Amino acid sequence: MSFTSGTASFVRYRVEGEIPADFWNFAAERINAHAFRDIDDSFEEISIGWVSLAGMFDSSFSEASYVAGDYLAMALRVDERRVAPAALKKFCLKEEQRLIREQQIPKLSRSQKVEIKENMRLKLLKQAVPIPALYEMCWSLANNQVTFFSTSAKAQTTFEELFRDTFDLDAVLEIPYTLAMNLLPEGAAAIENLTPAVIA
Amino acid sequence: MDLVDLIKEKRYLGQEFLTWLWFKSEERGGSIFLDDSGEDITVVFEKHLLLESGEGDELEKVICQGLHAGLNEARTGLAMGKKIEQARLLIGRETYEWNVTIRASLLEFRSVRLPKTMNPAEEEEGPDAAAGMILERISLVESLTGIVDELFRMFLKIRTEPEKWLMESKKIAAWVEEMA
Repeated sequence: MSFTSGTASFVRYRVEGEIPADFWNFAAERINAHAFRDIDDSFEEISIGWVSLAGMFDSSFSEASYVAGDYLAMALRVDERRVAPAALKKFCLKEEQRLIREQQIPKLSRSQKVEIKENMRLKLLKQAVPIPALYEMCWSLANNQVTFFSTSAKAQTTFEELFRDTFDLDAVLEIPYTLAMNLLPEGAAAIENLTPAVIA
Repeated sequence: MDLVDLIKEKRYLGQEFLTWLWFKSEERGGSIFLDDSGEDITVVFEKHLLLESGEGDELEKVICQGLHAGLNEARTGLAMGKKIEQARLLIGRETYEWNVTIRASLLEFRSVRLPKTMNPAEEEEGPDAAAGMILERISLVESLTGIVDELFRMFLKIRTEPEKWLMESKKIAAWVEEMA
């Protein structure tokens, strides 16, 4: 479920920094540079980039533009290869026991175990299929506000980093305190000095 | 102070807002007059409430659920000094209705059901229709956040004026005592 269909969950960001005068040309160049790149046929662990709201395969924005009136709307796609910890543990143990038998030694050193674990992780990563995730966003240029359609802290961190890399601007999560400062600027001092109330 | 510290230190602000909003919605039977817009809207707390008290190791949570329940346990929780961290709301303005779960400390909008505006069978296809659909949905999202912001501003205007807040908190305390 998402912004474009069914129910949606979202947080808001305030965009800080000066938007370039020739914004749409700047955005076209930057979005293209940070468009999603497929890793299905490589062994890369993770790929992060922009795709259109039309679907996860439209990284060229040929099916749908990111421009919608005064809004910039698109989706963040993250493809990640993952190795389940239990699977990694199993294959490491198997390899350790094979080496112990082969070399006829009582046990392996710590550095050997670390090496086995890293090699096994890389081997299993290469066998893993990248798991895709999509998170939609809509940037109101008139209000300097981005609506990001996920409440996952990990997705939000990924979004903040990609947004900064793409546009050279900071997207700062809007929380009640910062929103209060924006909604009631004349009460900023009072808000800053508030302490928790005992209501009942 | 960085954002992580601000979230931790000021989490009560959103929780007090939701607690006030519950009182405000029941004060006039589910209707709240928006000062700035000069109109009545509907705000109904329904089905689901999460209350919290304390922090760190002392953090206590109570979940209260039930269809149109009086949410008596939640009221008892308020009487014991707990605050609302999450609530499922129905918000209505003119002919539009939104269902939303608001998480107070981070001001997250969860499981938002937007008002129905057109029968899907009547919707057209193509790039223009897609852009139109995006603009329509973001407009509905912004209408919801606009209402919540206006309610939050109303709360802040009272909360930041000691005399007004003293009177309001007495009313809230009486409401909690009456219902618990």
